[in-house]
Amino acid sequence: MSLSRRTLLKGMLGGAAVTVGLPAFERFMNAHGTAWADGLGFPTRFGLFYWGNGVLPSRWVPQDTGADWTLSDQLAPLAPVKDVVTVVTGMRLPNENLVPHFSGAAGLLTGIDLILDQGDGQFAGPTFDQLVAKAVGADTRFRSLEFGAQPEGGLSHSAKGLKNPAESSPHALFERVFGVGFAAPGTDAPPDPTVGLRRSVLDVVLDQARALRRELGQADALRLDQHTESLRELELRLAKAAEGPPDLAACALPAEPLADYPDIDARPQLEAQNRAFAELLAMVLACDQTRVFSNWFTAPVNNLLFPGATSGHHQLTHDEAGDQPQVHAITVQCVQAFVELVTVLRETPEGDGTLLDHMALLGTSEVALGRNHTVDEMPVLVAGSANGRLRTGIHHREPAGDNVHKVTLSLMRAAGVPAASFGEGDAYTADGLSAIET
Amino acid sequence: MQERWSWSVGLLAALGLLLAPSCADTSRSSGDAAADAGTDLGEAPDLVDPRTVALDPPPVPMMARLTRAQYAASVHDVLGADLVVPTALEPDVSDGGFVAIGTSGASVSPRGAEQYETAARSLAAQALTPERRARLVPCQPAATRDDACARAALTPLGRRLWRRPLSETELAPLIAVAGSAAETLGDFHAGLEYAVAALLQSPWFLFRVERGEPDPDAPGLRRRTAFELASRLSFLLWQTTPDDALLDAAASGALDTPEGLALATDRLLGDPRVRDGLRAFFTDYLDLDALDELRKEPTIFVHASPQLGPSAREETLSTLEHLVVDLDADWREAFTSRTTFLDRTLAAVYDVPAPAREGFAETRLPPDGPRMGLLGQVAFLALQSHPTSSSATLRGKFIRERLLCEEVPTPPVNANTGLPEASPESPTLRERAAVHLSDPDCAGCHTYMDPIGLSLEQFDGIGRFRTKEHGALIDASGELDGATFPDAAGLAQALTEHPAFSRCFVLSLYQYALGRFEAPGDEAVIHSLAAWFDHEGRRVLPLLRELVLTPAFRRIAAVEPAPEASP
Repeated sequence: MSLSRRTLLKGMLGGAAVTVGLPAFERFMNAHGTAWADGLGFPTRFGLFYWGNGVLPSRWVPQDTGADWTLSDQLAPLAPVKDVVTVVTGMRLPNENLVPHFSGAAGLLTGIDLILDQGDGQFAGPTFDQLVAKAVGADTRFRSLEFGAQPEGGLSHSAKGLKNPAESSPHALFERVFGVGFAAPGTDAPPDPTVGLRRSVLDVVLDQARALRRELGQADALRLDQHTESLRELELRLAKAAEGPPDLAACALPAEPLADYPDIDARPQLEAQNRAFAELLAMVLACDQTRVFSNWFTAPVNNLLFPGATSGHHQLTHDEAGDQPQVHAITVQCVQAFVELVTVLRETPEGDGTLLDHMALLGTSEVALGRNHTVDEMPVLVAGSANGRLRTGIHHREPAGDNVHKVTLSLMRAAGVPAASFGEGDAYTADGLSAIET
Repeated sequence: MQERWSWSVGLLAALGLLLAPSCADTSRSSGDAAADAGTDLGEAPDLVDPRTVALDPPPVPMMARLTRAQYAASVHDVLGADLVVPTALEPDVSDGGFVAIGTSGASVSPRGAEQYETAARSLAAQALTPERRARLVPCQPAATRDDACARAALTPLGRRLWRRPLSETELAPLIAVAGSAAETLGDFHAGLEYAVAALLQSPWFLFRVERGEPDPDAPGLRRRTAFELASRLSFLLWQTTPDDALLDAAASGALDTPEGLALATDRLLGDPRVRDGLRAFFTDYLDLDALDELRKEPTIFVHASPQLGPSAREETLSTLEHLVVDLDADWREAFTSRTTFLDRTLAAVYDVPAPAREGFAETRLPPDGPRMGLLGQVAFLALQSHPTSSSATLRGKFIRERLLCEEVPTPPVNANTGLPEASPESPTLRERAAVHLSDPDCAGCHTYMDPIGLSLEQFDGIGRFRTKEHGALIDASGELDGATFPDAAGLAQALTEHPAFSRCFVLSLYQYALGRFEAPGDEAVIHSLAAWFDHEGRRVLPLLRELVLTPAFRRIAAVEPAPEASP
């Protein structure tokens, strides 16, 4: 890490017109530049980077293990971040695998089998990002943030059937976090009389919800409870916004992203959107607006046209002959997008380290081999040491195969969740994966 | 994008008699009813007056969250058509192919609550600008805080937005919010904005709540209240909140008599807004919103453009609106008519003369060509295809599932679903897809889909006509449950003659209208409506009328109150 902060910000802001001057936020760093001004150390962030349709395991799994491992074909993009990423192989998903892709996604993300009763399948419980959000998200303005390049691609769930839609526009995410209600460090926002009024409106609405709930049956009551919780969160957020700017040295107002990323030749601009999200996210985290995020790069079964591909991704996983060079190229693009995120986080200083040092980031997909939906060699990438709790820079392999949820549990615990276990039935584990823990 | 996460798991089992046999379900048993499905397929149901058929047992009602379109329409109706409704709202949720069903399971996420708040504040501010406020505020405020004037504005506004009168307990806090905000901001109308924003953020606006009441005509049973019925009628037939006349009919008890309900229904059906209701149904039924995300490889499909999806959507909606409202035609004509509505984008795809002016014009397609009806439209042909090619399987699957209400299970996870690439020996999809039919593991289901879809192969992945693929002539012959045909026009004909065809349409409309999957208690009702539909010439608006006038449309079960929420 040799970038100066000035270089970094210049790069990150992309030369766009920004009005943030460095001195304005230098003063929020403590005297040693090692921690928050209040001396409590840096919080551990938790993130998920997700792509759909799996990988090609035969070209994914590296040949050798340990710290001195050699990049495989599909992991080639990891070269510049190899020292801060751990690759875990030999992990299988023990959940039921009946419905292509969706069984895998539900099992992987919730630890519980997909519910198949009526209509479309349902996630049976919260996804693990929301378990983390519930445990550690209360201190920040946003309990968690969900976003990703593919529209409607997110699969974060707060509970059974309750999805948290992901934001697919970087500009919308910018507006949400850094628009009205955000106080940039170094600015003294005048008190806004409307904030109190908006909170009194929410109080009235919450009273209406309370009265309504007494008349609802169980299923509707649960749905209303989620609505009520969302309203309470919004009320808390308004209260937090009124408390003033976060006291963090690395925080700056990021550049405003482009309003739109139109398709080019019927291909979405996944890479450009992903970069915009990554740069935005760095400041979201540095400004401590949330500590939990999920980044849904692409979705299960997505049939998007990638640059250079002659068919949609999903179709290629099934139809492409031989060793599937196009599927390989797309997988590499997905790994590259993960690397882009890791790189931006790593180049964002926080105290005497970087954001990535204070983070547990998991990169994964719902299947191993997309062609026949195997789940016995799940792709698992871990980045960040979570304030020294995770080992980075190694390839760890479980030769006999092991439960992929162990990795999830390790990361959740590293992020500060006091979880006793993760997964249900055959997928249950009370143990993390000790090989990646310090 | 075409491969949605959607399949039916035994959901039609209870209605087995309506269904044709489906392919063997190796992964999940659908139960005995499905195994017996089709035994009575050839027999038309007995003709029974649907208004004498009971919904037994009735289902427990579920709140439906307003869709984005319903939210916008309600706001436009109540606050003014010139308001700009924010589009960043909680996305619609689909289940079993219908947003109308998915919305009965949806809640409001943290981001959604934020978006609804932002939208509510924006809309309230727009509605109370000096040039607009007279629509909502019937009085001149006597002071900065004027509770009587706030009450006069909020009482009718609340009734329209919440689709029922507000109680005093509900009104008082809203008036108080308006008053204290007015005092803080020093302006009556600025203060009133906060009360309007509260109305718009309320679960009473965002959800269509149904609790019901004891039915005086049927001791022990419950029915939707008159206001709940008015709301359901209005969203079904107009896709928007009830107007004052309908709410008045609910308040007066008029909707509680069969004559009064028929009168109100006929008023709604005779109003131009019924076109909005039909468009909403067809959009949901045929998944037309997916056309907004249509992506086709431009080097393969030179006629593809970002405009293609939206144009195709309008073509299909205009055609169906014309057929149903203007012509009151037999539903089968949606598949056999050669009348359509094209703009220049589509005229180029269809290779017919473009309309003389911008926009859409009624067009007659060549009378002897293979293109006719919905199966010849871009909306169907392009959506049920891949980004770079057509798909006989996707097209066949859509026809089986959506148009014949049959169940096609997803392939087993370990199936090799790939098709070989084109070669001199296998130039067209028919040769390449032959593996589906020769491999016994695949054939079980693919024999139900591919022979249908292959007859549409003269339309490429965006619906453009072609006679050759990779230099070889396309054989467009096909087969549907014993009927054989030479091309797509023959398929359309065979489809409309299929015994499950019109009954499936009735079932779909029923699901949409009730916003739920059918249950065993619905079977007799659906049977009677299907027989009635066949008997009465398969016209859609009369079917809608008959559906809402059945007592079943109003019947619901009692709600068992939930335990208190955990703090």
